Amino acid sequence: MVREKETTLYIGPQHPGITGNMMVKLKVQGDTVVSAATHVGYLHRAFEKLIERRNWIQAFTLLCRFCVPEPDPMELTYARAVEELDNREVPERAKYIRVIVMELARMQSFMLWYAGQSGSAGLYLTPQWSVGDRNYILDLFEDLTGGRIYHMYIWPGGVRRDLPEGWTDKTLRTMDYIEKRLDEYNKILFDNTIFQKRAQGVGIVPKDKAIEWGVVGPVLRGTGIKSDVRIDEPYEVYDKIDFDVPTQEGGDIWARALVRKEEVRQSIRIIRQAIADMPGGAYYNKVSNPMKWTVPAGQAWAKTESVRGEIGFHVTSDGGNKPYRVHVKGAAYTHGVTVLEKILPGQNIADVSFILNSLGVCPPEIER
Amino acid sequence: MTDLVKENILLNAVTSAFKIEGKVIRDRRVEVHADKNTVSSILLFAKKQLGYIHMNHMTCIDWIEQGEFELVYTIYHPVDKLTLFVKTRIDREIPVMENIDTIWDHANTYEREMREMFGIEFPGLVGEHDFILEDWDQIPPMRKEFDTHKYAAETFYTRPGREDAKDVREELSKRSGTVVPDFAKKYSRE
Repeated sequence: MVREKETTLYIGPQHPGITGNMMVKLKVQGDTVVSAATHVGYLHRAFEKLIERRNWIQAFTLLCRFCVPEPDPMELTYARAVEELDNREVPERAKYIRVIVMELARMQSFMLWYAGQSGSAGLYLTPQWSVGDRNYILDLFEDLTGGRIYHMYIWPGGVRRDLPEGWTDKTLRTMDYIEKRLDEYNKILFDNTIFQKRAQGVGIVPKDKAIEWGVVGPVLRGTGIKSDVRIDEPYEVYDKIDFDVPTQEGGDIWARALVRKEEVRQSIRIIRQAIADMPGGAYYNKVSNPMKWTVPAGQAWAKTESVRGEIGFHVTSDGGNKPYRVHVKGAAYTHGVTVLEKILPGQNIADVSFILNSLGVCPPEIER
Repeated sequence: MTDLVKENILLNAVTSAFKIEGKVIRDRRVEVHADKNTVSSILLFAKKQLGYIHMNHMTCIDWIEQGEFELVYTIYHPVDKLTLFVKTRIDREIPVMENIDTIWDHANTYEREMREMFGIEFPGLVGEHDFILEDWDQIPPMRKEFDTHKYAAETFYTRPGREDAKDVREELSKRSGTVVPDFAKKYSRE
C-alpha cells in the first residue's frame, strides 16, 4: 500500500470561484482534501468601525458595500433596526416598494450566482447569458435609484423617492422576459449532464447538523428544512403576499441549485402581486434633518432573508447622532468558515470552488 | 395585537431557573441579563431544554465610560419563532469570557473575531490568532479608544504630488469664485 504524501494547497485569494477575495488553505492527499482552513482579511475595510464615526444616514454609504452582490438587504435590515429604535412608522406604499426592491435584488444576485456556479463547473455559456440578463434588472435599479449596484434607496422611514412614471410597466415586462429565459437556462444548465454529475452528491450539508452549524437560506432549505425569515418572522408586507418556500432533500449542491432556481420564480410571483396590490400615498416618513437626527438609546436586532439566507443587524444607540455600534451577520459568516471547513474534507480539489459558490460565500461579509 | 404568552413563558422559564432578571422587549423578542459565569449554562439550558437550537449572532459592545464590554448572545427557536438575547457584562480591564464553541461550533468564528478586535480572551479557544488582521501590533481596533484618524496619519504617507494636502473645498472656492459650504462643520455636534 502506497501512503500518499500530504501537501498544502492554497485556493485563492484571487476570487476562488467568483465569490470575492479569500483563501482556503487545504491539506490534500492526491486530489482529495484532508482538511481545510478559511483565511480572510483581504477585503477588510473596517466598515463597522468607520460607521461609528458617521451619522445614522451616512452609514448607508458604507453598509451597502458589505457584500457586493447584495447591497439592498443590508440597507433594509439596518433601516429596520433603526426604525425599531426610533419607533418610526413606515408608510404602506413604502413597504410594497421595499418588497419589490428586495425581490429584484434577489433576482439580480441569483443571476450572478448562476454565473459563478456554472462558471466554476467549467460551463461558460451560462455566465455570458446570466450576467447579460442581470443588466436588465440593474437597468430597473438605475431608473429607480440612479445607481446600478449600490442604491442607498431604502432609508429609515421608507424609501428615498417614489417610483418613476412607467417603471412598474417596465418591471412587469422585464419579469415576463426573465420568466421565459428561465426555461432556456434549464436547458443549458439544469438539463446539462455535466452540471448534474458535478452537483449531485457533492458538498453535502447534513440535515441533522445544519441548524447547529448556523446554516441558513437556500443551503438550509436544500437539506429539507423549511426556513425563511419572510415566512417565519414576516416583515414589510410579506405576510400579505402569496408565495411558496421551496425545499429539496439531499443537502448537496444539486439540491441547493434546485431551491434557488425555484426561488426566482417565486420572486417574479411576489413582484407581480406587489405591483398589483401597491397602494398610493406617502412613500417616506421623513427624517427632519439627517445631519442632526438622533436615535433613542437602546439595542435592536433585525433580520431579513437575502438570496443567500438570513442577514442580521445588531444596532446599538447611545442616544446620539451616530450609531454606537453596528454589527452585521450575513450567511457567509457561518457558511464560509465553519460550514466550509467541515464539509470540504473528503472532497475533490476540483470541487472546492464549486462548493464555495453553492454555499453563497461572500468574503467581504465575513470580515467587513 | 399579540398577548405575548409565549414570550412570557420563555422569560419565566429562564429567569426562574437561573434567578436572573429579564424582560419581554416586544413580540418574538425576550432578553435576560446574566452574570458572565452563568451565560454558558443558560445557553446550554436554552438549547437542550427549551429548543433554542440556532445561534443567530454573538456581539460585543464596548462601553468604555463604564469600563465594561457587553456581550450579547442571540439565539432562536425555529418552531416557536422566538428570539432570546442573553446579555452579560465583563470587566474591560480583565476581558475574559467563557468559550462556548462546544455548544455551537460557529461560535468559534465570533470568538476569534472578538479576541482580535476587542482583545477578549476565551480560554480554550482553538484557531489561529490572526483571523481578519495580519501582524497587528496596536490595541484591538474595535475598542473605542482606538483612533482611526491618528492611526491613518501615523501609518500611511501622502501620495507623491499631494504633499501640500490642499483643502478641496478651499480650492474649489478659489477656482469657481463661489463659497462651497462646509456642511460637516455646520452640523457637527463638536
